[in-house]
Amino acid sequence: MKPYNIGLCGFGGQGIILTAVVLGTTVVTKGNRYAVQTQSYGSEARGGQCQAELIISDNPINATSSEQKDILIALFQSALDKYLPTLKEEGTLIIDPKLVKVPAGYEDRTIEVPATEMAVTLGNRLVANMILLGYMQQRFNLFSKEDLIEVVKESVPEKYINLNIKAIHEGIAYAKKES
Amino acid sequence: MSEKKAYQERVQSGVHFMAGNYATVEGAIAAGCDFFAGYPITPANEISEGMSKRLPAVGGAFMQGEDELASIFAVAGASLAGAKAMTATASAGFNYKQEGIGYASAIEAPCVIVDVQRCRGENFASQADVMQMRWGASGDYETICLAPSSVQELFDYTVKAFNLAETFRNPVIVMSETTIALMRERLEIPDPKDLKILNRRYTHQKPGEYMTYKANPNQAPDFAPLGKGYHNLYSINPHDERGGIDWDPEVFDKLYQRITGKISENKDQICETQSYHMSDASLAVIAYGSEVRPALDAVEMARAGGIKVGLLKLVTVWPVAEKQIKEVASQVSAILSVEMNIGKYSREIERVSGGRCPVHYVTKNKGSGHTKEEIYQAIKEVWK
Amino acid sequence: MIKQNPQRKHIRDDKLPHFFCPGCGCGQVLNYFLRAVDEENINLDEMVTIGGVGCTARIPVYLKTDTLHGVHGRTLAWATGIKLHKPEIPIVIFAGDGDLASIGGNHFIHAARRNLDVTVILVNNLNFAMTGGQVAPSTPSELKTMTAPYGNKEPDFDICKLAIAAGATYVSRWTTDRPNQVIKGIKDAMKHKGFSLIEIISQCPTHFGRYALDSGNPQVLLDWIKDLTLTKTQADKLTAQEQKGKFIIGEFIKEDKPVYTGSSVYKEACQ
Repeated sequence: MKPYNIGLCGFGGQGIILTAVVLGTTVVTKGNRYAVQTQSYGSEARGGQCQAELIISDNPINATSSEQKDILIALFQSALDKYLPTLKEEGTLIIDPKLVKVPAGYEDRTIEVPATEMAVTLGNRLVANMILLGYMQQRFNLFSKEDLIEVVKESVPEKYINLNIKAIHEGIAYAKKES
Repeated sequence: MSEKKAYQERVQSGVHFMAGNYATVEGAIAAGCDFFAGYPITPANEISEGMSKRLPAVGGAFMQGEDELASIFAVAGASLAGAKAMTATASAGFNYKQEGIGYASAIEAPCVIVDVQRCRGENFASQADVMQMRWGASGDYETICLAPSSVQELFDYTVKAFNLAETFRNPVIVMSETTIALMRERLEIPDPKDLKILNRRYTHQKPGEYMTYKANPNQAPDFAPLGKGYHNLYSINPHDERGGIDWDPEVFDKLYQRITGKISENKDQICETQSYHMSDASLAVIAYGSEVRPALDAVEMARAGGIKVGLLKLVTVWPVAEKQIKEVASQVSAILSVEMNIGKYSREIERVSGGRCPVHYVTKNKGSGHTKEEIYQAIKEVWK
Repeated sequence: MIKQNPQRKHIRDDKLPHFFCPGCGCGQVLNYFLRAVDEENINLDEMVTIGGVGCTARIPVYLKTDTLHGVHGRTLAWATGIKLHKPEIPIVIFAGDGDLASIGGNHFIHAARRNLDVTVILVNNLNFAMTGGQVAPSTPSELKTMTAPYGNKEPDFDICKLAIAAGATYVSRWTTDRPNQVIKGIKDAMKHKGFSLIEIISQCPTHFGRYALDSGNPQVLLDWIKDLTLTKTQADKLTAQEQKGKFIIGEFIKEDKPVYTGSSVYKEACQ
């Protein structure tokens, strides 16, 4: 597999960096691949724009960052405005339509996943990122469902494990329904 | 295995997806570190955080010093008491460490110092401390400085740093950087049996026979434990083989010949480099630390375009890998020295090259590393 | 037959003559310390002594102990590292007023706050002596020093009060001309579990005497100190204004509190 570049951007507190870490952990520790994850955020202790990047590859990766993202996930309007130029020409944009507007000219390669609304329905808006991870699993097949669930079991506090797994399944179901 | 139980294992063997600062912690614990002192500073805080969690679990001690000086001198004290000791800081804090590095060098206390280099006062990438690593303290001394370029190497070189510290009874500096310290990457921690760990060398002599600083030329002396009647005197002042303060110029000269000679005369044993595409190269990029990453990509881009360029990666930045750099300078028609500062170590490369070929400075000091395209452009220009 | 000083056995063989000026109090303090050691049957082989930089810091260099020496102000930082790794090793620190209360001030208050289990013998000669008699945080107001030629315009530190406020659990102050109290004070300090400070007001005829009192005669300086000395009981009867500029001697605090052991206290929490 060629290096695959994923960007996630949003607002501090949305779990942007955690999502990238869970994804990286899944790919590396379960999928036995290589991954590099970096992040940037404002100096605020809470809140503010934030961004995480993940590069996945079958081989060791030299680059720490890429301006040619295959996927960009955006959960906050100003963050999208800032990072949209890092999406490569044929790259896919994933947005939460309740939080972000589809940018003009990107209509045919933007996917709308109402993750926050779905998460609220599940009872906790914080699992929106797990819905997105489930969606990505089904849609792009960069990692297996089983590996993702295993990582979630290892890294999420026990009382939230079931909710998170449920959210992953919701994301998978949404992707299946869509296709 | 529960988290607490798992923490009691020094070596967390297996494949991890881990941030560089935590890999530094795991490297230290795996190497047998049993004392850490640090002072809060970004972007080195995860090292303190990790150590405060991991060290008590393996029977070691963690302290947060009242300042950077407290931390480095507590490390020196713990080292003399027998601990494998480490401190970590970031550039602004590294200024304060110099006093302790000078002491530890003079009285030959093995210890490891991690400097997570940063710039613009915050979490921006930099390699600007490269000369301070070598020349920061007053007086004559030598240091060993290792420059990791990845999370894996932060683990590997931290282990290596502890081993070198024990071998040469000298401070060893891990030249970490914001770039790799805060980045998460694949980390493979080997089985304990596959890790080479060197421990403290204690004397077999009895109190009375033993002399604290008696050693063969260019070698480090063996240790004697504290509190066992050896009457070690660890003074930074000029001292004779027994440790007694002695201002005789001949005694001073002999002492410093050995203290500096144990590093400078064993350079070839200490210095490590790695070569990429060098066998037929007529152009060479020399880089260390995180700059190795875009440099290697750029070299491969250039190779794809028919440019015969190779890369010499410096694992050991101090002492200077003179033998390897000289060989490269004799082979190629030009060297590109890549670093993330105003161009500091490039002068060393120029000095060592001794006019065998021109050395082009490829430097960047903006808070981010070179892109592969930037280095590729520089290669193309020199190739013309 | 030439009789040898009974304390000679504790001194490194090739270290005499010592480097202290004639009339200096450091030699007295070295004697008092060794008297305390012998009277308590303390085994110096097991002890680590520490000196930073300064005249007082040279005291441990003469001792047959393991010794750290030679960096200004960092005595307690070294001690903290040793204590956290080897809590069983007794540590005695010899520090001058400049070493402890000026450049090493931060380590001093934090070691006291933590109740680090060490003994600090502070020889307060009221100036930076080894460097030639500069003003120190302990130099009494209005007195002249090399760097206060018009008289010291700063107030001076009460180092004992500072230690108590910071959390020290044994604190006493004496003067060099009171051998019995000093020896008892050192013994009590060494026996104390926790941070113990004994301050000994000492004479530096070479620098402090000549600048501040216009006399290099140690007797003049000792008399001056003696005239300004009040016992705690005497001082208690005076107002704060009347106590000003006086050396108040006695034992100020002695209490038991948990000692600092660093994160090793969390060992159980990790099992």
